[in-house]
Amino acid sequence: MSRTDTLKKLEHMLESFLDRAVALKAERIGVLDGINRLDDIAREMQGGNDVTDSVGSWFATHNRWLDDRMLRPAERRRVNGILDEIRRGIPAGASSSPATRKVAGEIDRWTGAGRPSRPDSETASRLVLRRGTEEKTDHREPTIAKFANTLEKITNLFADCSGNKKHLMSALDDALLSAGNQGNKEALHLSALIIYYLKQNGYKVEPYVSQLKEAERLQKGHGGSC
Amino acid sequence: MLNAAEKSYCLALQALRNKRYQEAVGYFDRAADYFEQNKEFAVLRDTTRLLLAVKGELSVSGGDDTLVIEEVFSDGKEADVSR
Repeated sequence: MSRTDTLKKLEHMLESFLDRAVALKAERIGVLDGINRLDDIAREMQGGNDVTDSVGSWFATHNRWLDDRMLRPAERRRVNGILDEIRRGIPAGASSSPATRKVAGEIDRWTGAGRPSRPDSETASRLVLRRGTEEKTDHREPTIAKFANTLEKITNLFADCSGNKKHLMSALDDALLSAGNQGNKEALHLSALIIYYLKQNGYKVEPYVSQLKEAERLQKGHGGSC
Repeated sequence: MLNAAEKSYCLALQALRNKRYQEAVGYFDRAADYFEQNKEFAVLRDTTRLLLAVKGELSVSGGDDTLVIEEVFSDGKEADVSR
């Protein structure tokens, strides 16, 4: 086989590998495209542009995400966060245009539907998180308020992770994945909490402890994942 | 909001999907600091780099010295000006 033939074979092999890698991630890449586009829209809005049409078009393209449950918990939180940003910049009072009101309503519907729900409809309640006024504090110092805030985030995360799951182990798997792949600190705390709970109840938790340590190591090493 | 590195990684994956490898490497490089420890990121970036290197090598040592240029004129006819 000539050198050129060898190179061509290698070229074909590498292209095939990348094709398959991308094909495996096709759905995730589609989701990331959508999140990236929404992020672009939020930035346009911060630049003072009217984004009503863009948001409307985004919803037309990605509405099925809600029905198909395509989004992972972390992705849903990301989308909700960006939509919240956009929503704050959209005037939806009586003086605003019908299109603007419609888009604002759609965002409310989306973010409302995106919140975790409980299977028992009688106990179901909608949790709305609002950020209070900002204060100048030392961000590194742990405080009761910060811990309470973290605890609330962990509770919300647990609701995300445990939704539709039949066993606590499955929720733990989800939390560990989120801690390792996305560098989510609350997911790391949640994982540790569940592992401790399981240990107290007599479960063998060694494999989970290893995964927790690996996730912790990854978080110390890098900031997150796409 | 997404940070610049996350956006670059997303764009790199889009470029890979469309087989725009040179563009993908550019985006991978912009995201590199943030995803330095991400194994999947490293595999995709390094494979793309290797592919480009192979393509570059093939373009200079392909052994085929025929360059085919096709021009389409405004009247819709093609003219083959192979050299």
